[in-house]
Amino acid sequence: MALASVLGFKSNDAFNRSLRCDKNDDTIDELCPKLNVENISQFITLPPYADPAKYLKMVSDNVDRVKIQFLKGTTTLAFKFRNGVIVAVDSRATAGGFIASGEVKKVIEINPYLLGTMAGGAADCAFWERVLARHCRIYELRNKEKISVAAASKILANMVFEYRGMGLSMGTMIVGWDKRGPGLYMVSDDGERISDNLFSVGSGSIYAYSILDAGYKYEMSTIDAIDLARRAIVHAAHRDAASGNIVRIYHMKETGWEKIEEKDTNDYMYQYREDKTMNF
Amino acid sequence: MGDDIMSYNGGVALAMKGKECVAIACDKRYGVQNKTIATNFTKIFQYVLFENVSFFLKVQTVSERLRFRTNLYELREQRKLKPLVLYNMLTNLLYERRFGPYFVYALVIGLDPKTGETYVFDSDNIGAISDNVNLATVGTASDYIFGLGELFFKPNMNADELFEATSQALLNGVDRDSASGWGAVVYVVEKDKVTVRELKGRQD
Repeated sequence: MALASVLGFKSNDAFNRSLRCDKNDDTIDELCPKLNVENISQFITLPPYADPAKYLKMVSDNVDRVKIQFLKGTTTLAFKFRNGVIVAVDSRATAGGFIASGEVKKVIEINPYLLGTMAGGAADCAFWERVLARHCRIYELRNKEKISVAAASKILANMVFEYRGMGLSMGTMIVGWDKRGPGLYMVSDDGERISDNLFSVGSGSIYAYSILDAGYKYEMSTIDAIDLARRAIVHAAHRDAASGNIVRIYHMKETGWEKIEEKDTNDYMYQYREDKTMNF
Repeated sequence: MGDDIMSYNGGVALAMKGKECVAIACDKRYGVQNKTIATNFTKIFQYVLFENVSFFLKVQTVSERLRFRTNLYELREQRKLKPLVLYNMLTNLLYERRFGPYFVYALVIGLDPKTGETYVFDSDNIGAISDNVNLATVGTASDYIFGLGELFFKPNMNADELFEATSQALLNGVDRDSASGWGAVVYVVEKDKVTVRELKGRQD
């Protein structure tokens, strides 16, 4: 390639076109167009009627006895502490009363230093967090530095805000470690984006919050933090019908995330009954 | 969880026949939609043996009203109830409320100690009469348990095999339903004794 350019040979294939210096940001995107409101139909099949937001709202409002209710039947939690962020999730997917799966991966590994959790519609969370992964990678390539957690969560919140009212169901936590330290943001389908030290999302979050609030201290050791997260998920799995099966725990450190464990909640419940920390 | 009243509390029961023995099993959860309130709520009431699931208050009401009628019967007739009589009383009680029904599904089992004849009946919430069947299930997880029950059922099982078949069908069926589980109880009725066993199940 270098020899070709020295000799003034101009090739017209795609690779060479992309190497040319007269390229700027807008023209690079012609090869892989950016997803935005105008060209959305290239990426997603939109419903074939004029006002999707209004029509789809009817579906969840029980008009004509049709009602599709997206309930966030799950328990996910994340909290910051002095050694990073702990993320813990259950693995049950319910469709009404039926347990569709007990092995759902509710932590989405966006990249080696960013994690996203899944609550609400599985498809919505998985798809949009994958789009987010794409944006994060492009940012990294253009700017030669890792994207901040604040920016990543903002990108996701803005993408989702464009679909506000159309029936997306997503309650996700974006967890990462950037140059400002550990980052934790909660992003939901109505475009809400907030940052705090401790969050829990899902139908079992009420039970998880009680365990977390009772035992949380910022100065906890890593072992204690993992134990607290595990207990919170196990208690929520016990009381909430829509949570259970496997508990997965991740630890976000300065060097990226590490998967701590993936064990059956039922085994922990009987173990906690043995040492009297749980009653049933 | 769905917004229909029959799955408001959740719960499940299963009954199976063997050779001169019958088994009935139920889960132990008492909950309100997604919230689990208690894990020791067995839904089996003993007359001959009678079982209700689905809506707790109605369960108590139906159970108490039936107890009233059976006590009166025994006082008047000066003899013990037969399972078929109990079943007919129950379906009658339920049909009395045809246009404002009790929210219960019923399962009745019985055993005649002299002849060894076994009875398993089930009913919907307005008292539909069923035949004396080999296997019956009611509740939110009944679809899942039916499949397993049909798989494990063999004709003329003895008490131990019957216990195994019933408990396996129930425990594995409730693992696919979010509104039932949290342990189980199995009653095996034979000619001379009733054995009650508590099963260790998934607590989520």
